[in-house]
Amino acid sequence: MPTPWPTRKPALRDERSFASVAEEHLDDVYRYLLYMTGNPHLAEDLAAETFERALKRWRRFDPRRGAARTWLCQLARGTALDHFRSERRRRRREGVYASDIPELGDPVFGEGLSPELDRAVRSLSAAEREVVVLRVVLELDGETAARVLGIRPTAVSTRLSRALQKLEERMVSDVRG
Amino acid sequence: MSEASYLVELREGAPRAPEVLRELVRELPPTRQARTIPPIRPLLVAGTGIAVAVAVVAAAISGIHGSGSSNQGARAVELRATRDFSPQIPSHGAAASGAYRAAPGLTAPSRLQSQDVSMSMRVKDLSGATQSAVRTTRRLGGFVAGADYSTGSNTGYSRLGLRIPIANLQQAIASFTGLGTILSQHISVADLQTGLDQLNARIATARKAGHKKQVTRLERRRAALVREGTYAKVALQLTTTKPTAKHVVPSRFDRFWDNTKDILGKEAIGVLYFLVIAGPFIFLAALALLGERARRRRADHRLLEETG
Repeated sequence: MPTPWPTRKPALRDERSFASVAEEHLDDVYRYLLYMTGNPHLAEDLAAETFERALKRWRRFDPRRGAARTWLCQLARGTALDHFRSERRRRRREGVYASDIPELGDPVFGEGLSPELDRAVRSLSAAEREVVVLRVVLELDGETAARVLGIRPTAVSTRLSRALQKLEERMVSDVRG
Repeated sequence: MSEASYLVELREGAPRAPEVLRELVRELPPTRQARTIPPIRPLLVAGTGIAVAVAVVAAAISGIHGSGSSNQGARAVELRATRDFSPQIPSHGAAASGAYRAAPGLTAPSRLQSQDVSMSMRVKDLSGATQSAVRTTRRLGGFVAGADYSTGSNTGYSRLGLRIPIANLQQAIASFTGLGTILSQHISVADLQTGLDQLNARIATARKAGHKKQVTRLERRRAALVREGTYAKVALQLTTTKPTAKHVVPSRFDRFWDNTKDILGKEAIGVLYFLVIAGPFIFLAALALLGERARRRRADHRLLEETG
């Protein structure tokens, strides 16, 4: 079997179907949306919407500009932000407030998560959970996370540091309390 | 609980997507990745590159077209030299007198004419050249009507007003051109024959009528007219001042390069003009776009901060 001649642009050569890419990164997108919303049902809906968007825009995806996972996370972020904006408008219009995060007995952010850690994560803002999920759970590097968030890598580090500090403080206070 | 342990817990305990969602994704149509919309940034870069290449090629083509053949260039220079007697043309008596003959349709030996010649020359030895010009004038039957001679530490000039018999004018010019390098030459010819014919007719009429005084007056006028047509006025200016820059006959490549530079310069001016006009608007639009993006980013972050 002859060895295939190496090409400089493997991403272009490696054309894959959208379904296979979506399936590969499904968990990551779902986790990201779950951390942003704190609601498994909402995360599921938004993930489905994200993949619908992604399917429509799949022809515009350029693998040279970033990995598929980064692109999907960016789309997921946009979907979540759209949802939050519409929710805010709805709340203003109706003059009521209802928390997105349901008070469930089971941990939301992971099946084996300790209740203290789950509560601590739940107490963070969406912006803080977002950076935690990108850097810690999805293990994106600083530059990729920065690209998803549309900020500089140093800002990502700062946000992550503050979020983890806050998380730790909440956990400690929860254990003491 | 250490920091590392809760981070590991978060990572390992990360939830998996529900099976329903997985099924939904599996049912997605198998779209193949095929780019139909090219990215804007490479297009812009490619477009700029093509525009620059077109501009350079157009300038080069224009430069080649404008440079002409080497013969054409040489002929153009020769023509210019004949017309202006540019300093780069070495002066030879024969060539210069040929130039005098080249003004030819102007002179007519059978008619009485007044001729004014003005020559400007650069010489090495101002004193020697002046004396030589005066000697030549006298030898050819002419005389010096006026002279202005001045020398300084580096430069000097000599202006001679000469009267030379028209019959010897060509010989005089040939001799003067041997004094140095011709900087300029001007020849003007005015016809006196018509006036002479009229005077002759009036004299004949006056004689028939027996008007002696009028005949005398008219004959005096005719003598003056004939004298004017006998001697040519030559204004000879000799100088030692060197030209500011040596004019070199450009080669075909030089002409090509000059033309190309001209076109490129004009194109650059056009681009600059466009930038000056449109630049502020482009800058403001870019600023507005960046500002809007920053504002939206801040608003998004605020929204996420507010969302629990």
